[in-house]
Amino acid sequence: MTFDASLWLIFILIALATTLPRASFIVLGNRVALPSVLQRALRYAPAAALAAIVVPDVLVVGGAVEVFNPKLAAAIAAVAAALAWRNPWLPFIAGMAVLLGLRFALGS
Amino acid sequence: MASRSWKASSRALDYAAVISENSPLPSSFRSGAREGFFAFLPLSVGLVPWALVMGMAMASTGFSPLQAMGMNIIVFAGTAQLGTLPLIAAEAPLWLIVTTALALNLRFVIFSAALAPGFRGVGTPARWLAGHLLTDGVFATCLDKMMSVEDPHWRLGYYLAPAIWSWLLWQSFALIGIYAAGFIPKQWSLEFMATIALIVLLVPMARIRPMLVAALVGGASATLLRDIPLRLGVVVGICAGIAAGFAAEHWAHRSKRP
Repeated sequence: MTFDASLWLIFILIALATTLPRASFIVLGNRVALPSVLQRALRYAPAAALAAIVVPDVLVVGGAVEVFNPKLAAAIAAVAAALAWRNPWLPFIAGMAVLLGLRFALGS
Repeated sequence: MASRSWKASSRALDYAAVISENSPLPSSFRSGAREGFFAFLPLSVGLVPWALVMGMAMASTGFSPLQAMGMNIIVFAGTAQLGTLPLIAAEAPLWLIVTTALALNLRFVIFSAALAPGFRGVGTPARWLAGHLLTDGVFATCLDKMMSVEDPHWRLGYYLAPAIWSWLLWQSFALIGIYAAGFIPKQWSLEFMATIALIVLLVPMARIRPMLVAALVGGASATLLRDIPLRLGVVVGICAGIAAGFAAEHWAHRSKRP
């Protein structure tokens, strides 16, 4: 499949839909002040957002929630490694080892 | 004497004007940059497979290397790029492509608002640059220090070093991915390292009880709502998680009172 020049227009529009939300409040800064209640609530945004991306990723296999799957086991291993040790590389080693080990053992 | 060195370093000043509104790159910028870079370095490992996968995905969609790198440089967004690729390939209407990208990026409005106080004393061009380079990992790495440190140069350095490092990693490994498409076996599941990187960010946050509540509710809602269109489930999940964390904080305060 090949694409014509209109592809670049698509890229520019996606870029606007990406950079404008990201720059919004950083650029507006003090001109728009968020109420302090909202600011306090926003402290929970990163934890909520990371979990909202990670949890479906490791729980859902082929559209359905599956409690026993290699990705979830690997995620649990990564969490355990992150809780137990300060070394930031160990969760990667533990997680990938469990994922690939289980996939290999299950023959898939 | 002072004015001579001022003139001599006018080129450095031009550069500094982009970085900060009132003075050349001070040493506090550099020390902030150093600290931010090393705080982020281990996490940036997660970007490598993610960028490789991105490059391979664009190549297998049928983009030429020029088009693929064009998208990667113009857009600079992992989830928005991966999320819109299938729509572009299917020649979906433009409004749907753009709406999907917006939905995937909505969380950054929240991140941007949370980070905004950390840019007090920083000039507008640097703020645009910072906004363009905002990613999940940079946000999670920088939020605390951006709020607690007074010196604006230090804060900007602490933010820009990981942000620019992310950009460089993202572009170089996407380029490798574009040409490596077809060489790396899919069974290696390298893209899972990106998920592990998000976990590494999440775990220390969730040690605080209301944060854990926010994460559990956010994760559960996003999982339950995964089938609603345009991946809005993620946005709803974030909002539900924030509300739950906030409520948990209030209840904790109330139960402490005599």
